[in-house]
Amino acid sequence: MSAEASSHAASGASAHPAPYRSSKLPDVKLLMWVFLASDTMFFGSLIGTYLAYRERSLVGPFPQDLFDIPLTTVSTFVLLMSSFLMVLSLHALRQNDIGKFRLWTAGVAFFGAIFLGFQVFEFTHFAHAGLSIHQNLFGTTFFILTGTHGVHVTVGVIWLVSLLVTSYIRPMKAKDAVYLEIAGLYWHFVDIVWIVIFTVVYLVEFV
Amino acid sequence: MSEGKHTSVSTYVIVALILGVITYVEFALVEYPQAWLGSGWTIFLLVALSIVKFVMVVMFFMHLKDDDRTYSGFFSSGMFIALATFVGLTAMFILPKAVASTRPDNRAAQEASHAVPHELLDNVETRGASRAPAEIADTPAVADRSVSVEAPTAPNDASTYSVTPPAGATAQGGAATAEEPAATEAPAAEATGAQSAAGEAAEAEEPAAQEATAEEAEEAPAQAEAPTAEEPAAAAVSWDKDHGAAVFNANCMACHQMTGQGIPGAFPPLASHAVEVYAVAGGRDYLADAVIFGLQGAINVNGMTYNGVMPAWGHLADADLADALNHVLTAWDDEPAGFQPYTAADIAARRPDGLSAGDVHAKREALGLH
Ligand code: HEC
Repeated sequence: MSAEASSHAASGASAHPAPYRSSKLPDVKLLMWVFLASDTMFFGSLIGTYLAYRERSLVGPFPQDLFDIPLTTVSTFVLLMSSFLMVLSLHALRQNDIGKFRLWTAGVAFFGAIFLGFQVFEFTHFAHAGLSIHQNLFGTTFFILTGTHGVHVTVGVIWLVSLLVTSYIRPMKAKDAVYLEIAGLYWHFVDIVWIVIFTVVYLVEFV
Repeated sequence: MSEGKHTSVSTYVIVALILGVITYVEFALVEYPQAWLGSGWTIFLLVALSIVKFVMVVMFFMHLKDDDRTYSGFFSSGMFIALATFVGLTAMFILPKAVASTRPDNRAAQEASHAVPHELLDNVETRGASRAPAEIADTPAVADRSVSVEAPTAPNDASTYSVTPPAGATAQGGAATAEEPAATEAPAAEATGAQSAAGEAAEAEEPAAQEATAEEAEEAPAQAEAPTAEEPAAAAVSWDKDHGAAVFNANCMACHQMTGQGIPGAFPPLASHAVEVYAVAGGRDYLADAVIFGLQGAINVNGMTYNGVMPAWGHLADADLADALNHVLTAWDDEPAGFQPYTAADIAARRPDGLSAGDVHAKREALGLH
């Protein structure tokens, strides 16, 4: 299926599809969008749950004791810029510019790793301040939400690094762009989830 | 290529710049609050800005703007269901909460734990005066926790608070909370303010507890000694703490949660609440009945209504129930005044009543709890 999808992606809508296919769209990309739609619901309920239990903790630590807005702004910025590098990387691959593709992809993975570093730092800091997943409703909902997001970022970093490694093992061409594109879609999605979390979890707490 | 038009690099750069600037503006809005904006508009702006960022990434970085409509279709249906879930959650949880907000209590507890000297006194008074009685009743117990932690380290309260963890009765909580900062930081003039705040809090207590509290508030130093006097009595009966925690975690935690905070709107909190029930005349027996026979009917805890069913736990051994109750009363709060740990015999003595969950509810109402 994947080989077919990529050759299809390369040859465009003019190639006549196999009879059982009802869509002219590359399967992998369609699949990714369907996955992202379901992941939206997943994060939607996690964020909703966080908000539903907001300010219901009886014991501390409370969000305002812990959140560090300048720090989180920097990590948000890093994640946004990684998305920027992601589109540059896809652009380079479509131009068959493998050197730039590798450079930008490595950049995305690196920025993603920095973001994760911030999160590890944040979690350890919170844990030292006495917040655990059992401590109060804030701890439970916060760690579940941001932890799930962190796992998504981790998966994204691994995925990008593996694409990078693949490009050394077997040559990557413009026609393979759809594989980078779906990784990119996933990455941007993780980014927009964070855009929402940054506002509704972090910023609103201090207004 | 999988789709027609490709965005140019210069578009990407512009989008990235805008995203960066918006992030900075968001940061600035929070870090340097604009008084003229007010918090309502600030929140509105923050949400609007994040929606702009969201849409820009989706449109330009994920290319939905120029890509096949099928993708947008899938994604927006996902978004739609996510939003519907979100609205549903809001309706279930956030709206009832708007009626009975717990927010001021959290704040009061926080401020107490930071021990901000003068502001705290202000807060005790203004918040106490502006809130509905039901909410005030909840405050002392919450704030009380932080006071009892801090008491031993505060410089000059060895005279009044030589007390170890079981520091005070719940009914006395209000007085203790307000009194503490005055004794620690404020000169005599402010102590008066603290006492009047204590008086206000006391007024909100249940009738049975009211007299005692008001008395205690008037002679503040005296009340701090009370718990010390009661300690020996409390220590007389010993019970197995680990066993109590084990029974609770195995049977009660699923609903009332490990920290006893319950789930707002579904399962009532026991932390800071069971001790209040215990302090009411007849409360001790009622708690045992609730656990042995279950509880069904609308009850109100900290301004929130619960209308659920708690199953009967009568199939558990007497000793198990006794220790679970002792755990509930001591794990998260200071022991109630004159606390007598439940014994297996206490539980066994309640069993012959053979109540239904509804009967227990009627009994609860009869105690003046609603
Ligand atoms: C299935 C969920 C569930 C479990 C498990 C559970 N409870 Fe409850 N409990 C409730 C609900 C619901 C109520 C409130 C009932 C109502 O609305 O009338 C309640 C009420 C109570 C109350 C009375 C509170 C009051 O204000 O009167 C006590 C005490 C209590 N539970 C203790 C326990 C103990 C101890 C255990 C473990 C042995 C336990 N519960 C296990 C759901 C549960």
